[in-house]
Amino acid sequence: MKTIPPTCPEPEVGPKYWRSLDQLADKPEFRQWMEREFPAGASIAPDGETRRDWIKLMSASFMLAGVGGFASGCRRPEEKLMPFSRQPEGYVHGKPQYYATSMPYRGTAVPLVAKSYEGRPVKLEGNALHPDSNGGTDPYAQAALLSLYDPDRAYRHTVGGNDAKVEAVRDALSAISKRFAANGGDGLAFLAERSSSPTRNRLQEEIGKKFPKSKWFVYEPVDFTATNRALGTLFGADVQAHHTLEGARRILALDCDFIGTEQEAYRHIRGYAKGRRTPGDSMNRLYAVESLMTLTGGNADHRLRVRPTDVVKVAAQIGAAVLSKLGVTGELAVLLKRLETGSPAKAEWAAECAKDLVDNKGASVVLAGYTQPLAVHLIAQALNAVLGAFGPAITAIKSSEAKADGSIAEATALLKAGLDTLVILGGNPVYNAPADLEFPAALKKAKNVVRIGYQEDETAKASGVHIAAAHFLESWGDARTGDGTWVPVQPMIEPLFGGLTEIEVLARILGVDKASPLDLVRATFGTDEAAWKRSLHDGFAAGSTAKPLDFASADLGRLTQALAAEKPAAGKDFDVVIVRHGSIDDGRFNNNGWLQEIPDPITKVTWENVILVSPKTAKKLGVEASAGAKEGQYRQHLVKVSIGGRSVQGPVWVQPGLADDTVGLALGYGRTETGRVGRGSGYNAYPLFLDASRHLATGAAVAVVPGRHLVAVTQEHGLMEGRPIVREANLADFKAKPDFVKHMDLDAHLPHYVPFKAEGDGRNPEKRPQNIYEHPYDQNPFTASKIHQWGMVIDLASCVGCNSCAVACQSENNVPIVGKDQVARGREMTWMRIDRYYSHDPAVDVDSETASSDPQMAVQPMFCQHCESAPCESVCPVNATVHDEEGLNVMAYNRCIGTRYCANNCPYKVRRFNFFDFNKRETDYAAAQDQHFLNLGNLYKGPLGINRNEAPEWEIIKLVRNPDVTVRMRGVMEKCTFCVQRIEQAKIARKVLAGNSGEVAVPDGSFKTACQQACPAEAIAFGNMLDADSAVSKLKRDPRNYSVLGFLDTRPRVTYLARIRNPNPAISTMEGRKAPDSIRDYERFRHENPFETPGHGGGHEAHPNAAASKKGAA
Amino acid sequence: MATAATTAAGHGAGAKSKHESHSAPPVLKAVDAPKELEREPLVLNNRSMAWVTDTIAGMCERPMPKWWLPAFLASAGLMGMMFALVAYLISTGVGVWGLNQPADWAWDITNFVFWIGIGHAGTLISAILFLLRQKWRTSVNRAAEAMTLFAVACAGIFPVVHTGRVWFALYPGFLIPVPNANGIWPQFRSPLLWDVFAVSTYGTVSLLFWYVGLIPDLATLRDRATNKIRKFCYALFSLGWTGSNRHWSNYEKAYLIFAGLCTPLVLSVHSIVSFDFAVSQVPGWHTTIFPPYFVAGAVFGGFGMVLTLLVPLRWLFKLNDIVTDRHIELMCKVLLATGSIVGYAYGMEFFIAWYGGSPYELYAFKNRAFGEYWWAYWIMIGCNVVSPHFFWFRWFRRTGWFVWIISIFVNIGMWFERFVIIVTSLHRDYLPSSWGYFTPSWVDMFTFVGSFGLFMTLFLLFIRFLPAIAISEVKGVMPQADPHHPLGGAKGHH
Repeated sequence: MKTIPPTCPEPEVGPKYWRSLDQLADKPEFRQWMEREFPAGASIAPDGETRRDWIKLMSASFMLAGVGGFASGCRRPEEKLMPFSRQPEGYVHGKPQYYATSMPYRGTAVPLVAKSYEGRPVKLEGNALHPDSNGGTDPYAQAALLSLYDPDRAYRHTVGGNDAKVEAVRDALSAISKRFAANGGDGLAFLAERSSSPTRNRLQEEIGKKFPKSKWFVYEPVDFTATNRALGTLFGADVQAHHTLEGARRILALDCDFIGTEQEAYRHIRGYAKGRRTPGDSMNRLYAVESLMTLTGGNADHRLRVRPTDVVKVAAQIGAAVLSKLGVTGELAVLLKRLETGSPAKAEWAAECAKDLVDNKGASVVLAGYTQPLAVHLIAQALNAVLGAFGPAITAIKSSEAKADGSIAEATALLKAGLDTLVILGGNPVYNAPADLEFPAALKKAKNVVRIGYQEDETAKASGVHIAAAHFLESWGDARTGDGTWVPVQPMIEPLFGGLTEIEVLARILGVDKASPLDLVRATFGTDEAAWKRSLHDGFAAGSTAKPLDFASADLGRLTQALAAEKPAAGKDFDVVIVRHGSIDDGRFNNNGWLQEIPDPITKVTWENVILVSPKTAKKLGVEASAGAKEGQYRQHLVKVSIGGRSVQGPVWVQPGLADDTVGLALGYGRTETGRVGRGSGYNAYPLFLDASRHLATGAAVAVVPGRHLVAVTQEHGLMEGRPIVREANLADFKAKPDFVKHMDLDAHLPHYVPFKAEGDGRNPEKRPQNIYEHPYDQNPFTASKIHQWGMVIDLASCVGCNSCAVACQSENNVPIVGKDQVARGREMTWMRIDRYYSHDPAVDVDSETASSDPQMAVQPMFCQHCESAPCESVCPVNATVHDEEGLNVMAYNRCIGTRYCANNCPYKVRRFNFFDFNKRETDYAAAQDQHFLNLGNLYKGPLGINRNEAPEWEIIKLVRNPDVTVRMRGVMEKCTFCVQRIEQAKIARKVLAGNSGEVAVPDGSFKTACQQACPAEAIAFGNMLDADSAVSKLKRDPRNYSVLGFLDTRPRVTYLARIRNPNPAISTMEGRKAPDSIRDYERFRHENPFETPGHGGGHEAHPNAAASKKGAA
Repeated sequence: MATAATTAAGHGAGAKSKHESHSAPPVLKAVDAPKELEREPLVLNNRSMAWVTDTIAGMCERPMPKWWLPAFLASAGLMGMMFALVAYLISTGVGVWGLNQPADWAWDITNFVFWIGIGHAGTLISAILFLLRQKWRTSVNRAAEAMTLFAVACAGIFPVVHTGRVWFALYPGFLIPVPNANGIWPQFRSPLLWDVFAVSTYGTVSLLFWYVGLIPDLATLRDRATNKIRKFCYALFSLGWTGSNRHWSNYEKAYLIFAGLCTPLVLSVHSIVSFDFAVSQVPGWHTTIFPPYFVAGAVFGGFGMVLTLLVPLRWLFKLNDIVTDRHIELMCKVLLATGSIVGYAYGMEFFIAWYGGSPYELYAFKNRAFGEYWWAYWIMIGCNVVSPHFFWFRWFRRTGWFVWIISIFVNIGMWFERFVIIVTSLHRDYLPSSWGYFTPSWVDMFTFVGSFGLFMTLFLLFIRFLPAIAISEVKGVMPQADPHHPLGGAKGHH
């Protein structure tokens, strides 16, 4: 591919010096260190060679970016972001810097801290200082970094399809400004994505003033606004919902995947997990009424599977029961009674659920999903109003978004009527506009189309002027987070390809010359210099959080009127639910390899979307009802889903837990104009995405079409086979027997089955089973560090399986992607995987012979367990995997010869082998749609294949690598390192601080591993086990603490806290599910019940885990 | 004739020259002897020693039969293909094979253990049967030993090229077990390192043993050579052998010592190979029965391969008087015995899986027989457990084509045994989330086929240039070699 030299951005006038904070950790220790006369930290930078390498690399990247000043002579350096020719005072090479910023995202924003090396952002983390954040993020934010260094992003401006200099673009924008100044903007329209940017809102307003006849449309294919609209009806104002699930003890989710694909799921996870972390009476309880199988349903205590068009009936049924319990009568009650007709839910179920919600009045909240019609949202808000959820669990705040003149339907109508100029701000309407509007055809009628976009996508091809957009890490901007707090968007790096920002484009159209984005943002923010600096430093403006609207202004009557007007469609033939894809959203991350390869949390499918049907529906359609792989491969039948002449065709996926007669489609795939990563992946679901029905259509026909399609899946087996891998209990059982985890699996029987060393020799006080190799620290006690012994605990009660940790790990540890073909062959490289298990009770579940209709689900993050007696270590012939003195199982990559024996001997199967040069050879991505007998994919061409190192555009992708972590070559085994680079940095920092004092133990919580940092649920605790007060030590003493496969005596440093389910006893009895299904499965496997057999395990005083926890307590 | 007389090997060397001087007819009239006391002779038809020398030495002196060149070219072609595929593997990555997580080993180690197992029969025949005074070994030991060496050569390729970074595997640290530049020793706890020692020792000792046994025969060939190059080469490798009593005395001592050295190696090498599995904790691998079971299996497989080679060889070279039906029958009996041991081991594994009380272990074995790889398991049972039991019946043991077919079954079965152990155990171990399935790639398959090319190339070269049967040893077990035998000579020579 020919490299087109980047255009030369014209310099802007503006402040020269913008750096605002040096260190996020603005702690006394750090200051003390900074103030010392000769900071010794300077000597702790990486050794010379490494540093030189990075400087070389950086200069290469500067050249590429046209920042160097030599490559692009037209540039006068005035506003520099990385002036390393003059080193900033106090700057230490090789030492990362942290800046607060945020990722604007569909009308809200994710507050972030960017880690930057030599002016190169390499990692994004949540900003824990932000009032509405705990530092957790979602996978999108973690992966946004890769999009910055995407070589396939729009790297040039074009006019009429030809490369254009930025001046030409600016001239075009100024011309628009001049042309429409005369007629007041008649014939000028804007089509924008949702945004909460105060600056954009201000500019929109000014444009409205300057061009009063211009139109402003906002379009997002994934429409999250229904809740806001319902709330707006209740409050009679333009509001947005802000959920604080921390305050909820009972949650009813009406087809609302608030843990997975809803807006700001990471925030909901935080609140939800907080309410579950401590098993006890304060634990929250989640009822999910849903059609698709989602993370929310998988985490729910009770899940009711109904087809999507029936959700409104169930909602009305529960609502009616709630009202009758509360003694509320009137129009609303009558209306709900009418709507509930034909509800598939048992009356007792609804009654018990309603009773539970009413019993917890003031701490109950009802959520409705974006795929559901407005009626469901209205019912949900009505229930929230009567249940007193406003305040504790949900608030209505003033909308952060400016009002628009309409959505895409109005825009299309205008285009069809003949529009002079359409300015498209982001988005990709040509690809994702509702199919029935026929937007692409309408767009052709416009005389001028100016579009700013991040990729040369379908819309770019249809635009006369295409402006390359800057990444949010390259541009100045602002936004408001979901709670209304002002957050800055700070650039970390000069625009790599000279991209512009939305606000720049708008300012030009307004006629503002030489408007730098920084000036625009400053102008919006105000003149308070101190507040500005403070806000940049903290990453949010103190006190800018929106005030909740007074509940007194709510009017249930208005809502009832609106509800009476709603006529939700009834289910017919097949219902079709079209959802945002859990990884690549509406298609915006289609070219992001990390998100393409991260498996869907439920199906574990990578690199594409599938057509979801239930096992029963599959049988009806005549496709295999089994959800499993055949000989390791998923060669799926193809089905065609059609509604009124429009159809979608793709591979079918039999999803346990899906509602019958329901088809699930996901957006975002089947792109025609995308980068090399996304090319050829998935099918396009937009043909069925109609303006009238949007996310929920009905009356569909489904037919099997000839052919098979290979689907790449990371987990082939969904059942635990009775093995106590994820241990779980219902709350009541847990209260009766808090240490039930110790009574499970073979280790509960150890004293009977496994020989011990002779007692009394003092060498085995914990009575561990006799391992063939002695415990390394027993063998050589002097090798064990007395300062640090690292350990980790994963709380399965909090973990919801959202994938944030997995993407964070990929980003932090330079884990390569391998492409669909290799994933299908079982060679994915992710160090951290989320195992998803289904369990079902054949007594309850009639369809269990093929795939379960109503499974329970459990998730478990799985990665290197850092066994103390590691089976991998003893079998490596070359000492490439060894134990360090702090309890880490470490890999010496340069010693590894790749016998793969370690991976075979790992009971957790967490080791990953570089079967090819994934970092050097261009991955096959979706090119290998099928596995051939003679696969001629690029990876298989070896040295004859494309070498990234020789392709100039790949230089940019190298920049995403974390310089603290080795990039592995082929033939080398790798696995989780506990983020050893972060451990070492923390230790070094601590040693520098300690000086001669000798207090070198790293204080608890002073650093986090990448997964722990990204986890919104705070399910991961990591720290020093020698510190009895550390979080990890405390959790290891929890009675729920257990080791997976503990009977092998591998003694993992990663342990898990059992999951506690909190079902409603009345409903459990009704369903005949007294214990979690996995426990019943375990009973069949081991013929024992951990809650009922005191003779097993519990009777053995010398139980190893029990003894270990006693020891820990002492 | 005089030349042959001076170099004719064995105890009967002197005796032979005496007979020759009487110018006896090639086939002497049989002397009546009580038949019921006589074992079936090891060389039939009262062949003379000269006939033995002529027949065996003639195999590598006369032009090769017509089939040899096409066979050689085909084998060499397969061998070339294997090396090309190995080059592809090394230049591109292990991913060209079908391996994945969780099956990080599959055909590579299967082939390794398969070939190593084949190498067992040769040393067992030459060493253990020698020590046990099993005279019938003499007709088959040379070819079997050669086969051992070639099998070890084939076996040696797989563990080397299966590593991710072959260039480092050859470095100090693994295949050269000395400390590397950083002073780090290899890991002596790893069974893979034990393999390096076991296989290299086995290969070296087997080679020396084979070579020592060849020396008298090389001298025979030297003396019979008619062109200078042949004479020089055979002379070089026969180390100046003249057949003097001193030579014979030293030779026999050396041979005995090597037999003694080889005997424990026969048992140790496959025990150690089995540790690759037994030492791990993979359900289905982690079992104490492996060492004896692997040794029995290796002997079983090795004899299978000996039969596969010798049955056609004796037919093609008309060696039925030297490699007699009795030899074939005896080897069939070994197959029957070791096959039964293997069958017992299969049963015992299941019993222990149930009796041991570990549900993980039990699952591994259920999965082996009835899981996705059930077909591999039942091919193995059919070939290894069922097929040898034909050999309870004399007719089957004595019918060459039938023996040959069964020997092919044994080879197939033993390959599948290793495949079953390795792949069915790995593909489903502890955590169901990481269960997978292994499918070989075309590179896997053709590399394995190519290793037969290497094996056959070496074997064809062996029968072309070296005496495929130990001339001197066969003569030693002929009646003529016995000084007390009516036909024997050199009375009072000892």
